Amino acid sequence: MGFKRKKDSQDLGSEFDDDEKVKKMKKTVEKEKKEILPSMIKNKEKRSEVHAKLKIQKKLEKRKKIKARDAAEKRALELGEEPLPREIPRTIENTREHDETVCKAFDEELTAWNDADEFSSIYKCERTPKILFTTSRFNSTRGPAFISELCDVFPNSHYYKRGTYDLKKIVEYAKNKDFTSLIVVHTNRREPDALLIIGLPDGPTAHFKLSKLVLRKDIKNHGNPTKHDPELILNNFTTRLGLRVGRLIGSLLPQNPDLLGRRVVTFHNQRDFIFFRHHRYIYESKETKEATGSKKKEAKMIARLQECGPRFTMKLISLQHGTFDTKSGEYEWVHKPDMDTSRRRFFL
Amino acid sequence: MPRTTTVESSGCPPIRALTFDVLGLIKVVEARVDNRLAKMVDRWGEPDSSRCILAASLNDRKSNPLLAIARKCCAIEILNPLNGNVFAEIADAANDGQKPEDDPVVGLHLFKNGGTDGSCTVLTCTTKGNACMRSFTVSNSLKDSTSDCSTISWKVFGAGNILCSKVVTSETHAVFGGKGVEVNIWDLQKCTKIWTAKSPPKNSLGIFTPSWFTSATFLCEDDHRKVVAGTNCHQVRLYDASAQRRPVISIDFRETAIKAVSEDLDGYTIYAGNSSGDLASFDIRTGKMLGSFMGQCSGSIRSIDRHPNFPVIASCGIDSYLRIWDIKSRQLLSAVYLKQSLNSVLFDSNFSGEVEPVTSESNPGGEEQDEGVQIGDEDGASQSKKRKNKATKEGLGKKKVAKENGIAKVKMQKMSKKFGSHQRV
Repeated sequence: MGFKRKKDSQDLGSEFDDDEKVKKMKKTVEKEKKEILPSMIKNKEKRSEVHAKLKIQKKLEKRKKIKARDAAEKRALELGEEPLPREIPRTIENTREHDETVCKAFDEELTAWNDADEFSSIYKCERTPKILFTTSRFNSTRGPAFISELCDVFPNSHYYKRGTYDLKKIVEYAKNKDFTSLIVVHTNRREPDALLIIGLPDGPTAHFKLSKLVLRKDIKNHGNPTKHDPELILNNFTTRLGLRVGRLIGSLLPQNPDLLGRRVVTFHNQRDFIFFRHHRYIYESKETKEATGSKKKEAKMIARLQECGPRFTMKLISLQHGTFDTKSGEYEWVHKPDMDTSRRRFFL
Repeated sequence: MPRTTTVESSGCPPIRALTFDVLGLIKVVEARVDNRLAKMVDRWGEPDSSRCILAASLNDRKSNPLLAIARKCCAIEILNPLNGNVFAEIADAANDGQKPEDDPVVGLHLFKNGGTDGSCTVLTCTTKGNACMRSFTVSNSLKDSTSDCSTISWKVFGAGNILCSKVVTSETHAVFGGKGVEVNIWDLQKCTKIWTAKSPPKNSLGIFTPSWFTSATFLCEDDHRKVVAGTNCHQVRLYDASAQRRPVISIDFRETAIKAVSEDLDGYTIYAGNSSGDLASFDIRTGKMLGSFMGQCSGSIRSIDRHPNFPVIASCGIDSYLRIWDIKSRQLLSAVYLKQSLNSVLFDSNFSGEVEPVTSESNPGGEEQDEGVQIGDEDGASQSKKRKNKATKEGLGKKKVAKENGIAKVKMQKMSKKFGSHQRV
């Protein structure tokens, strides 16, 4: 560097330029320094220091940006112009990798398949859903409590003690007794950790991982559900596999909900995790004061929610064709580690 | 340790595959010379789940090819594999008071040595072991052909369910196997059983596994004595009728049932697919796995077919994808989403990949030769590309020595990636 400077300084006419050049060079050097990521620094103290600095800087920049945007919006409003449309944040969901199995509406083959699949008789109201709940061989505390709450959620459900029966025997028994689904809650270390939903008599078998279970009594301000048939909300089941899982879940509940009960069961799919929630809702006319100062009161309808019943998250591990059969069953879908090629790839 | 790098490939060779699915649809997938990706080009039939296709067989001779399919409603149809026109439809002949749903067809074979005057012979085998050989004449336009239908039927096995059947290429013998049915070979001319396998002995713990064969095929084209069978207890077994009744060799493959096996033309390579969607090739002489086909395959494999001319295989299953693989590199060449779970796939070997398939069918030999030249050219090009790639990498490598810090390394990788991508384009 020094050599270059000397060389430049020989050029007498451009001392000012020369200074600027030096500054520029310094800047570039600084830039290069900046490009050193904190993760490359080996000294921990130094690294954390640099990292904290970077973080503060980023935070400040962000705050500045938001302030500027808000100011611009305000100005636009004052001037009566249209404010610039807000940018849509890029999330993992809306940058999801393209999946050709996402179902399109009015697909002839899809409707034909839906008319013919295992649940079609339930959706056509030819059979009413009837569920058999059972557990793994050993269960205690949280398992039975969870099942008793699930029995409140799903109407026409029956709990049978597992005993020492084989699952295949239980499937046979449930088939003979005209059950339409069989749910096995698997417990490990006194905590429910897996859910097996089997469609009967020849429906698919879905194996879910269960996590984040919160029982009713641990939910603050929880309500108690009534015996009415609940409504069902299935969110974001878009692909072919998702649709199939959605139909399997939908076949657990009666198709004509009792709207008087105002009870909703939600299965919300987000990034392949299925979130279960159970609510009661109520429409209320809330009286609000007008902000302008006039004392006229206006009745406004609002909906209020009260959560009741368990809260948990499921993740699909495998979907098997036919009833439970680990030895000779054919899998429609199995999660394999080599499928996780990207964070933006989802299957449901 | 699986290979993580990818080998450059020139895409799909010109192929034409027919897939058969649970809604009774036949879908035609083609990869052309100009477009190296397989695409669905045609669909025959209306979606109807009661007409689910269970088995299919193709007689792909150069003139007047025929395709036979067996439906769930127990009708056998003879079609033209070029345009999907139905030549003949045979209603169920072997119904002795049974519902067709109770006794579905598992195996179907259309004999290739049928006369050119339109007569053809079909062998069917049902789950309950009713094998039936029907010969009839197909008139090109009309649908009536069952008039002069001669039938020979016999019982393959009394108890148990037949799950697989296959006819050797010389069409003299057939193999049957299933749940509770040992693999057995039948002479089709005399309709007699000539050989039955014997189940392997109890294992070291004294546990006996009952026989449950899910797929079977002949190892060589003309040798009816060597049979490869896939079992439910995830084993691929080789039987040699001339040597012994117990399996000569048996290979364990993963943890789920083998659902499809297919032989290669070389007479020792076997492709096996299982019910959790793993596909692998084996050398049956040594009993070693050559390698598995990696391609995010998630549903059970129901059918594998080897192309007679090109080194590719096709696999399909209930994840509703048709996948086309290269044999040598075991790489996925193309995957086509076909919306329904597929039961069977067949290659049409007389397809040349030109834009007009009907005209090119008249002299496929010449076309194919052209084809070969083209492929060779492309290979050469790709090789030269590779060389270039290497050169650039080397050049960059020299620079690497000069600068030895992390940033430079990262940049280098990016650069090389860039170069790579450019050259691939």
